[in-house]
Amino acid sequence: MIDLQDVSVSFDGQRVLDKVHFSLKNGEFVYLVGPTGAGKSSLLRLLYMDLKPDSGTVTVAGFDSSKARTREIPFLRRRIGVVFQDFKLLEDRDVFENVAFALYVTNARRSEIKKRVLLALADVGLSHKRLQMPHELSGGEQQRVVIARAIVNAPPLLLADEPTGNLDPAASNEIMELLMKINMRGTAILMATHNYELVRKFPARIVQLKEGKLVEVELKRER
Amino acid sequence: MQVGYIVKEGFSGFRRAKLSMTAAIVTITISLLLLSSFAILLLNANSVVTALRDKVEMEAFLADSLTNAEVDVIRARIHAVLGVRDVMFISKDEAAKIFQEQFGEDIYRVLDFNPLPASFKIFLQDGYKTADAAQEIHAQVTAIRGVEEVIYRKGLLELLDKRVTTALAFALGIGLFITISSIFLVANTIRLAIYAKRKIIQTMKLIGATRGFIRTPFVLEGLVQGFLGGVFASGIVFSLFHYLEQWADPLSDFLTVEPVAYGVIVVLGCLLGFLGSVISIRRFIGETVVQ
Repeated sequence: MIDLQDVSVSFDGQRVLDKVHFSLKNGEFVYLVGPTGAGKSSLLRLLYMDLKPDSGTVTVAGFDSSKARTREIPFLRRRIGVVFQDFKLLEDRDVFENVAFALYVTNARRSEIKKRVLLALADVGLSHKRLQMPHELSGGEQQRVVIARAIVNAPPLLLADEPTGNLDPAASNEIMELLMKINMRGTAILMATHNYELVRKFPARIVQLKEGKLVEVELKRER
Repeated sequence: MQVGYIVKEGFSGFRRAKLSMTAAIVTITISLLLLSSFAILLLNANSVVTALRDKVEMEAFLADSLTNAEVDVIRARIHAVLGVRDVMFISKDEAAKIFQEQFGEDIYRVLDFNPLPASFKIFLQDGYKTADAAQEIHAQVTAIRGVEEVIYRKGLLELLDKRVTTALAFALGIGLFITISSIFLVANTIRLAIYAKRKIIQTMKLIGATRGFIRTPFVLEGLVQGFLGGVFASGIVFSLFHYLEQWADPLSDFLTVEPVAYGVIVVLGCLLGFLGSVISIRRFIGETVVQ
């Protein structure tokens, strides 16, 4: 699903990723951990191709960063759901339209859009709030709308960049349970986080970014 | 293409962004008003100049001793001069009548005899109402035997020739300036409106919207704004002229607006809105999702 070979990225002469190798299989759940500024977001940007590597190749859902043309990138993004810490909802339209937008871009039929949006909203438990505007929702609810938008296309891969970063512990748990449920259905998930408590509570494979290198980490057994 | 979605989005500004929508429409209206009032003045200035040139006529005064046959010969010879459209004979009696109309007095009461010579009024063809052409015609007519003197408003023609060229160049410069300013002003207003939506544009890209998919509703919105701006500007121009015709009748002889002009204003509005949105959206759509 994801394959990084020898990937390096620098910003203003400072190397953020240094010859990174990484792969993620279909249906896998992987945490990407590391302190703030370690390059987690840059790595995710490489994956949804908002950033090109200085060297090496990034392959995501069959798209190769060295070959993909600018106008092909939207089609890659339709195969990836992305969840952000700051939600990135379309503030000018209601919950239903936010989720539906991911289907409008694919040219789906009206009846199909309605059905799939309502299913996705039911999945995240927000069917009853479909006509609310984003600013009328709590942080946890907004993040659930983002998740509904990310999964409404049934993508094989979901990228989550600190999805619980702005949420209280209860809302964080709800989001994690939701992500786990989505993963159980076969969607591969790469989640960047620095919330080690959640990582412990919902164990999965962990990779850590440290000084530009990506290393596998074993969870220390406590208790 | 999701035609329904695009149309709905194109008109969504009326609901979601009333202020920036209004600002864009007002800007387009004002730009069009500036442009069209300038164009109307320029076009009408041209008709004023043409009217002035039309007033230029020559008059060839004849010797008193000519017979009717000789007058006919002179008429034919003047008619044959290149640039002469028509000639009209004014006899000594007719000249006396004109004198009476102009001065309110009978020339015979003043002088006992009529000193006014018979003459030919000479009307020039359209292309010959310039200082150079008129001088050439003047020379040829003066050379005809039996013609004593030829007069015309030489100074006026020279003035029109010289000043009109300068004025026209100046006016075209101003017109160009207004046009460019209008495009810049409209593009800037629309750019501000789109700038407010740049986060939304980035999110749309993130979700997998193609550039065309993001752009089309914005361009449609620009067209709608331009159309409305055009309709308002047309309406204002129409009302102004309607008012002018009612309250200042003599002015309306010089200032006329062809009905087709109202259509042109609306089309120009659409063009302004279209260009403004296409230019503005280009910048934001190329940005990366994460700044």
